[in-house]
Amino acid sequence: MIELLLTVFSATFFVTVVRTTTPLLFAALGGLISDLSGALNVALEGMMLIAALTAVIVSVYAPWYVAVLSGVAAGAMLGALMAFFHLRLKADIILVGFAVNILATGGTVFALSRATGGDKGTSINLPSKAVPGVDLSFLEAIPAVGPTLKSLLSGHSILSWLGVFMVFAVWYFLFRTPYGLWLRGVGEYPAAPEAAGIPVAKVRAWSLVASGALAGIGGAQLAMFNYIGFTRDMTAGRGFIALGAVLLGARHPVGAMLAALLFGIFEALAIVMPNLFNWIPGEMIQTIPFVVTVLALILFSYRAQRARQMRTLSKI
Amino acid sequence: MAPLLEAISIGKTYPGGTVANDGVNLSVSAGEVHAVVGENGAGKSTLMKILFGIEQPDRGEIRLDGKVVSFANPREAIDNGIGMVFQHFSLVPSFSVYENVVLGSEPRNGIKFDRREAIEKVRALSEKFRLAVDPLPPVGQLPVGQQQRVEILKALYRDARILILDEPTAVLAPQEVEELFVAVRALVAQGRTVIFIAHKLPEVLEISDRITVMRGGKTVGSVNARDVTEDSLATMMVGREIALRVDRAKTRGDVACEVKALKLTAESGVTIAQDLNLKVHSGEILGLVGVEGNGQAELLEAIAGLRPVADGVIYLNGTSLGPKSVLERREQGLASIPEDRIARGLATGATIAENLIATRLADKRFVRNGLLDLKAMKANALSLIERFSIRSGGPGYAVGTLSGGNMQKVVVARELSEQPKLLLVNQPTRGVDLGATQFIWKSLTDARDGGAAVLLSSADLSELLALSDRLVVFYRGKIVAAFVNSDDLTAETLGTYMLGLSSQDPEAMRAALQ
Repeated sequence: MIELLLTVFSATFFVTVVRTTTPLLFAALGGLISDLSGALNVALEGMMLIAALTAVIVSVYAPWYVAVLSGVAAGAMLGALMAFFHLRLKADIILVGFAVNILATGGTVFALSRATGGDKGTSINLPSKAVPGVDLSFLEAIPAVGPTLKSLLSGHSILSWLGVFMVFAVWYFLFRTPYGLWLRGVGEYPAAPEAAGIPVAKVRAWSLVASGALAGIGGAQLAMFNYIGFTRDMTAGRGFIALGAVLLGARHPVGAMLAALLFGIFEALAIVMPNLFNWIPGEMIQTIPFVVTVLALILFSYRAQRARQMRTLSKI
Repeated sequence: MAPLLEAISIGKTYPGGTVANDGVNLSVSAGEVHAVVGENGAGKSTLMKILFGIEQPDRGEIRLDGKVVSFANPREAIDNGIGMVFQHFSLVPSFSVYENVVLGSEPRNGIKFDRREAIEKVRALSEKFRLAVDPLPPVGQLPVGQQQRVEILKALYRDARILILDEPTAVLAPQEVEELFVAVRALVAQGRTVIFIAHKLPEVLEISDRITVMRGGKTVGSVNARDVTEDSLATMMVGREIALRVDRAKTRGDVACEVKALKLTAESGVTIAQDLNLKVHSGEILGLVGVEGNGQAELLEAIAGLRPVADGVIYLNGTSLGPKSVLERREQGLASIPEDRIARGLATGATIAENLIATRLADKRFVRNGLLDLKAMKANALSLIERFSIRSGGPGYAVGTLSGGNMQKVVVARELSEQPKLLLVNQPTRGVDLGATQFIWKSLTDARDGGAAVLLSSADLSELLALSDRLVVFYRGKIVAAFVNSDDLTAETLGTYMLGLSSQDPEAMRAALQ
């Protein structure tokens, strides 16, 4: 137990948490944008998976940033595809989302075997690149706190820093710009923006594209930093956990970030625990993030219900 | 003076083949309040949608300031100075008043939404047009009357010269209607033009300068408001003399339903109604009067078996209804026409024939060996469609495709196809046109003459006064007054009791409660 505590309060654990949180954070921000626009994006999982593979394959031939951008583009295109089916052809958004997920599960394995020349499990024999970490060794020069700061802040993926910035950017967009107002209006009560001459379908389409792009960054981080290379089904439910984070975060960017952080902590725990408790089956430990997601959502809806009851009582 | 806005021989046929507008003419002068009246389905809404660019006309033209214009979408209509306030508000509930007003044309500062300027502009507008609203609270927390002002402000913020109000008074309390009229007069005084769609004639006569009457997709004519009376206007609307009077019950029978010391509570434990005592005789209509939310609707629900009773007893023909289920109550001869026909009264996706037997699935005539007898259902539907003159494509059409009045007739037909012993009626003619109203009233009095005890609740006092033999007034969950209906009884008298302004002497009340 003491060992576990020591591990949890170490700088390495913090670095692991940041690493595990980053893909969740991007996916959650993507889910947040489309959810607020009124189109629940259940395809975050598939978008991340396809983006991850795209980024890995592109990184074999191009610099890392081109690879990340190609992952973003893949996600955005899937978002546009969903928008086309949902808004133009009037298909149900949930069904379209699951179609994307199924396409991703099968399609990535197929594409992977074509790209690797037959390997249907991993891209281990592709020389793929990684997203560079940001080296902040100079912090060490600061007296007293320098070494701690360095071990906490140095070496994170450049995308993790981008993630923190994106939380702010998404918040600013949603709550400080007219387009954010449009987006939230479209999600809450489409008749109102429609009557005001706002192109409702266009706003939703762009939200899905943005949602896909953000999930795409998450996928790229997953396959180019958390792991180097692609493994089949490597997203392992992160897209759905991210959807949970959107709800748990009360549909607010900062809330989504905190929720993603919570799930990231448990994922990190699932990574470090097998070394400490080898008597617990590894599979059990790996279920922790999912069990926590379910528990958190139950707790959340219970509290939301209580809050509603309190409100109706206070009204009378 | 040349008219500001003109619609000339507008024609519009919907894809389903419904001719909504057929040679409609409308001419609105600047600075007037122009009412467009007509029954439901007369084509008023279609005409307004065409003027606002939601629908495109198949024939005819629209002229604004003498120039021919056509609007491909609402945006273009807005840009040309036309604003519309729909019956169902287009407001985002969680957004503040000012956010709703400026939505779509926000003041900007770089890429930033300039909130301060938005708030100032909304304040200035609401002062200028005497539409007092605080710009800051979320719209969802405001009463309906204030939400409507926000809608009007929205149109004015976009510089609407012509404001179309689609049945603006339908959702308002009498007090709020007065406030709306003050605002409308202020608008006209500042040179704006108002097109007012309505079917409550007294209001139309009070507020408008000119009135255009529509019937069956055509314009019947335009008249000056001061040249017409309510009766002549009603005749123009329906195309025939209509008697909005009904005969009183001639005889009344024994007590059919008795409510004793009834208490109702909400889920949260709050008391909705208490100490309710009343009797309904067979062959009479008892009107339940009261501002909505004072316990009348809940009483009807409790009798129908849709709401638990906290205390007290309900008797139907001497037996207590307490332990009985809704179905058992119906078997005893209870019928119910609920308040919300779409949510409670009908399955809008199901066909007319299906809806008409939905309460009779235990009936051997329609269900044999657990299977629906489609032939019998169809025959039943055909005869009821005929008897209740339901305008529809046939028994196989979904109820949702009918107009409001015809939907209501389906409910009435189902509930009255067999003579009930106790009939519960809530808002029978809300949103229903005059022709159908007259028909539904007749159906209710026929049921009464057939021996039904009728409990009638309505937000429309004139309906209650026209139909009821006796009336009881609800105020805060209690019966505060009771009257035997007579020509001397006026809406004003009832109003003072409804608002709790006067109280009745217990003796008089007891006498009228018998």
